[in-house]
Amino acid sequence: MEFRKLGVVGGGFMGRSIAEKVAASGIDVLVLEQSDALAVAAREELASSLDAEIAKWGITTAERRALLARVRFTATLADLADADMVIETVTEDLARKQEVMRRLGAACPPDRIFITNTSTLSITEIASASGRPDRVVGMHFMYPVPRSPIVEVVRGAETSNATFATALELARALDKQVIEVFESPGYVATRAMIPFLNEAMHIVLEGVASAADVDRAMRLGYQFKMGPLEYADRVGLDKVLGWMDHLWRELGDFKYRPCPLLRKHVRAGHLGRKSGRGFFEWANGERVDPGAAGGPES
Amino acid sequence: MKVLVLNSGSSSVKYQLIETSLELIERNADRALARGAVDSIGGETSLHTLFVAGRPAISEAGEILEHRQAIAAILRLLTDSERGLIRDVSEIGAVGHRVVHAGERFDRSMMLDPEVESGIRECVELAPLHNPHNLRGIEAARRLLPDIPQAAVFDTAFHRTMPARAYLYGLPYVLYQRHAVRRYGFHGTSHRYVAWRAAALLGQPRERLRLVTCHLGNGASVCAIDRGHSVDTSMGFTPLEGLLMGTRSGDLDPSVVFFLMHKEDLDERQVMALLNKHSGLQGVSGLSNDMRELLAREHDGHERASLAIEMFCYRVRKYVAAYAGALGGLDAVVFTGGIGEHAPPIRERSLAGLGFMGIAVDEGRNLGAVGKEGEISPSGAAVRVLVIPTNEELVIARDTLRLVEGVPVHG
Repeated sequence: MEFRKLGVVGGGFMGRSIAEKVAASGIDVLVLEQSDALAVAAREELASSLDAEIAKWGITTAERRALLARVRFTATLADLADADMVIETVTEDLARKQEVMRRLGAACPPDRIFITNTSTLSITEIASASGRPDRVVGMHFMYPVPRSPIVEVVRGAETSNATFATALELARALDKQVIEVFESPGYVATRAMIPFLNEAMHIVLEGVASAADVDRAMRLGYQFKMGPLEYADRVGLDKVLGWMDHLWRELGDFKYRPCPLLRKHVRAGHLGRKSGRGFFEWANGERVDPGAAGGPES
Repeated sequence: MKVLVLNSGSSSVKYQLIETSLELIERNADRALARGAVDSIGGETSLHTLFVAGRPAISEAGEILEHRQAIAAILRLLTDSERGLIRDVSEIGAVGHRVVHAGERFDRSMMLDPEVESGIRECVELAPLHNPHNLRGIEAARRLLPDIPQAAVFDTAFHRTMPARAYLYGLPYVLYQRHAVRRYGFHGTSHRYVAWRAAALLGQPRERLRLVTCHLGNGASVCAIDRGHSVDTSMGFTPLEGLLMGTRSGDLDPSVVFFLMHKEDLDERQVMALLNKHSGLQGVSGLSNDMRELLAREHDGHERASLAIEMFCYRVRKYVAAYAGALGGLDAVVFTGGIGEHAPPIRERSLAGLGFMGIAVDEGRNLGAVGKEGEISPSGAAVRVLVIPTNEELVIARDTLRLVEGVPVHG
């Protein structure tokens, strides 16, 4: 299938990151936001993240222009009707995702395939609201999408072979390696990551070592690009808590029970990078605490 | 025979329709009947332009999403009853494709068949930015013109005569054996063409000539040519090595890469973009990768424009002198490429200080040779200096014809 134009529902971190990668792959993108004001804001956020990429020498100003020319933002659902496929990226909440599927199902031609970008939820449950469960497939993109080489492609109970094959084609068009997954909470990547993050938080809670030292041990000792706590801060602690709560509920195993320290941070509004404070201190999207890269430890 | 020459890039297909024959080649009388391009493939609006001598230029905007549509549009326009040049595609005798990388698979132009195509595919890893698009053009042309023979002409092939001492890097030999890490060199079709023309202009058989050819454009490389054979060239495993270029760094201590990755917290993709797209004339000047603009700004007193130009010329000079050493003597230096053909001050400054080797530039001749063939060294100079506009498409058309006619392609 030739992908000419994709719809993306949601202009948040993930929606913008997916839109950026799709546009960089030469495919036009239409991003749906909830209001005109949010659509404008999402566009500005995308533009400024491209500026940051220029500052990192990753793209040129001409490439930034070309990329932005491929991405449009709208607040009108009906605009998505002529997209070849729609990728839903709204908050990791079953009811919200089902609501999006219901509205997409009503607005788009019956042959269109919907992709839900979820890290833990059931594709089968999300798809049930679409009116075309055979044409819904999960793709768990990893943030930041332009740089991550993989995507998990997840089959729901009703996903047809043709739909799954189209998702694999899209992955290829986006230059992603595919991890094929049968539906199961957390799939592969999130499920394996969660106990790791949780254990790191327990170590801090028990006073065994500081957050900076836990991260340093894992980063330098096992050659992770960043430590687990910095990773959690970057993702957003509320989001990490949401994953854990979900896996804990679904799988009932204690290894997924969220560390109390994580819950405490979230209740206090310390959500990590986006709030300026989590396990570490953040300003302008970068760590500013003494253990940050470039600080005394390195 | 009419040969359609195709150069398929990431978002463009450039083409020429060239009338050639063994007899025309002999007389150097084969010429392009038409040249054109489809640009911005996959963009909002693609632009198709066609120039035919003696006619107004044709320019068409439209939606062209991929290479097959582009080549179909080219064939449609060439056969258009009013604006075209041929009545039917069957008038095209053969198609010649520019292919960037042949790795160690091919040392000369080849007729395309499934085996050659798969050889080109094997080289995708070595030229991920070029070979896939070349292959797309080949596949599209094969489908649209199934009965017309097709040939591939490789940028790397001319350099396959380099000796091991020139093409190997000082790395463990096993890495060459395992991964074919070595110097390949690029712009081979251009260096080959100007070397051939230089022999004709100098009135000497190329078997007697030691040449240094300088292809100076947005990408730039120098080649040492000993009696018609490339024996060394400045681009290496990829087109990043060698001269300072429009946006590429050229030669660099590899340690700098790792130092910068650490200091600027860059990943592999970002550091590759830094070296390929943000460096060179653009990076040093902070202004532009366009030599014309830099020369104008230098004239206005812009210091870093001047520095970028100085660095560019200094590197050319180092390579010219080094290759004279590699050749054990020098008969002529040749300039070609956008800058080499059109920028007299760059030619003069690149050779400044090489008088001790018998290299000199005559000011008047230099200023006179812009965009056309000419000698720019003073009369009686020990080393002749020539300007020769390159014509890679003509080489591709000729090789394609030779392959179809079954005559050797080297020469």
